[in-house]
Amino acid sequence: MRIAAQPVMERDSSEAFIDATAAVAVARWLRDETRANDVRITTFERLPGGAIQDNWTLDAEIDGGAWHGTHDLVLRTDAPSGVASSLTRAQEYAVLQVAHAAGVIAPKPLLLCRDLAVIGRAFFVMQRMRGLAAGHRLTRETLLVPDGGALSEELGANLARIHAIRPPRAELADLPSPAADHARATIVGYRAYLDGLEDTYPALEWALQWCDRHAPEPWDTTLIHRDYRTGNYLVDGGKLSAVLDWEFAGWGDPREDIGWFTARCWRFGAHAKEAGGLSEVEPFLRGYESVAGRRIGREALDYWQAMAHLRWAIIALQQAQRHVAGGERSLELALTGRIVHELEYELLQLIDAGVR
Amino acid sequence: MKNISDATDLIATAREALLEELLPRIPKEQRYAGLMIANAMAIALREQRCDAQVTRDELARLRALLPATAPHSEATKQEALLALRRKLCTAIRAGAFDEGARRHELEAHLARTAADWVAISNPKALRAPQAAA
Repeated sequence: MRIAAQPVMERDSSEAFIDATAAVAVARWLRDETRANDVRITTFERLPGGAIQDNWTLDAEIDGGAWHGTHDLVLRTDAPSGVASSLTRAQEYAVLQVAHAAGVIAPKPLLLCRDLAVIGRAFFVMQRMRGLAAGHRLTRETLLVPDGGALSEELGANLARIHAIRPPRAELADLPSPAADHARATIVGYRAYLDGLEDTYPALEWALQWCDRHAPEPWDTTLIHRDYRTGNYLVDGGKLSAVLDWEFAGWGDPREDIGWFTARCWRFGAHAKEAGGLSEVEPFLRGYESVAGRRIGREALDYWQAMAHLRWAIIALQQAQRHVAGGERSLELALTGRIVHELEYELLQLIDAGVR
Repeated sequence: MKNISDATDLIATAREALLEELLPRIPKEQRYAGLMIANAMAIALREQRCDAQVTRDELARLRALLPATAPHSEATKQEALLALRRKLCTAIRAGAFDEGARRHELEAHLARTAADWVAISNPKALRAPQAAA
């Protein structure tokens, strides 16, 4: 077996050594899993981004066995520290399998490794999809997205395909059980989190109170992605190529995903384009309706956009805590904490505008 | 007149050096980190300039909003602020501000406080007053 690991960026030698060691281990594992004669890894590089997950480009030339040929893959494993609510790699792999089988545009999951002896952490390998995810570019560069409305429509239809997956599903038995009222259960969780902090956040408290009192009647529980937004999908040739980052998926009210996708905080500054900074909201809702057979009303959309800002504020506080108290000194995490002010400001405007 | 740079001047000068001397020369992969550092310094400068006034104003509004419970015994302004914020949160959750005039008073207070902090953390996110009204 020949192994060639070629890290692109210069890093210190101990890190490069760890990468090369991991590449050898992964090659051996791939060879056994695919019953190959030989596996040559030509690229093994960490992909940028991913505060919670660790993704690696993995190119393999496989000789013999079930996978004979060359493969462009991504290896996904845990970052050293994660957010408490994220799935394990085995759970995420199961979600991705179910979603992919249901026709959701997402990378095809290929192999799962639970054996910690291979690289020290569980991981899975999936098909590497072409395209660009960077939200600040997709929302600005018409060469990348010539028709934002068409892309929105595609994203709406694709989201509805995720929401067509209903509990119970044997493959997803170890996901947390769905709550009868997802909105109120979520609010209970956010309050419990805030109660554990030293500081208090009156604006978030007021938004939670408002959301608690104005929660619409629940929709039937479906699988929800919980991070379906611009920046988390790949676009290739102006079209959707894959939805990424399934680590927060779970059972819930499907409108949470619609609110998250359309919330002002995920438009990358293109505020007039409600559908993820790509277009107005109508094409997105039309695409969704074409598959789901129903659409969210304006009032519920406003409500779930407020919930989206709350969710992002809670996550930003969690990220800030990792820096302030979690022993993970990071300027990026520290600055994420400062986003809370902006989210409070937006929440108050949403509630003020939505006096009903 | 001051002869020696104070903390504010030191951070402002360091930020200028970063933006003008270092950033144009650092590799593309580190540019994002450089911009984050410049942003953090800008936030720190604005906070240093406005923090005292913003805190004083919030404290005054909180005392007006929670007159019956306004404590004066806390050792510092910061402690008083934290205690009053906590009381406000408890009252909000208990429904004391759900409707009517109390609700409007609360929302005016929260909107002012949030805008003051956005002016420190990311002033570009502030909307024009007429749009916010």
